[in-house]
Amino acid sequence: MNEGREFRPEQAVEIARAFATHEVDYLFIGKGALVLLGYPGMTQDVDVFARRSEQNGRRIVAALGSLDFMLSADEQAQLVRGKDFVQLKSGPFDLDVIFAPDGIASFEAADARRLEFDGFRVADPRDIIASKRASGRQKDLGELPLLEKFRQEYENAHPRPLRRAQDISR
Amino acid sequence: MTDAEREQRDDALWREQCRRQMARPLAARIKYGFHRTYKPVMDDARFRAFDTTADYRRWCDENLPEWLGYRTVKPNE
Repeated sequence: MNEGREFRPEQAVEIARAFATHEVDYLFIGKGALVLLGYPGMTQDVDVFARRSEQNGRRIVAALGSLDFMLSADEQAQLVRGKDFVQLKSGPFDLDVIFAPDGIASFEAADARRLEFDGFRVADPRDIIASKRASGRQKDLGELPLLEKFRQEYENAHPRPLRRAQDISR
Repeated sequence: MTDAEREQRDDALWREQCRRQMARPLAARIKYGFHRTYKPVMDDARFRAFDTTADYRRWCDENLPEWLGYRTVKPNE
């Protein structure tokens, strides 16, 4: 079922553009986000961490509609209500919309540390790795050492100025 | 080659691969980084929503084939 529905480069731009057009508060997270940053691994779907609010939920529904995701009225309502974890396989690619990922204190905290490039809003690799560690999943725990080394290489290549004392302690 | 030497070599190779991939354009990263295969049970529904992330983890533990790797590792495992 659903073979051949790959995530194509142009779809990445379409997501970013649709979410920007509809003013969705979101961040790419998960291994897909790390792939966007240059992680030399593979993943099968796209995960986004979204701010939980009815307004943001309605914006997400509108954005997904523009991307040809087919959502019933009930499914739209569940997105607007902001259930913690929503899996969508009714569009041109698989998408998980997560309102409460493991290991990340809040959307606001992650958003403050976000990376932006080419119109993409991506969670900080440290937050992504913290979430994977907190998830406790077999496949994530096994990959953590590689993710940490990638994070180090990424931060070496993209140094960010320290803004707060807690940036040093993280 | 000792284990330590092998580990050092592998670490250097991985880091070099990271740097090469970061140097590639975004389209190339996506082309090589996203690949979809059919995941039994997981891909058999067009929509799922879970009240909590813990519910989602529990559903994965109880429903998905173990070889997909979604199972949570229990303490002492």
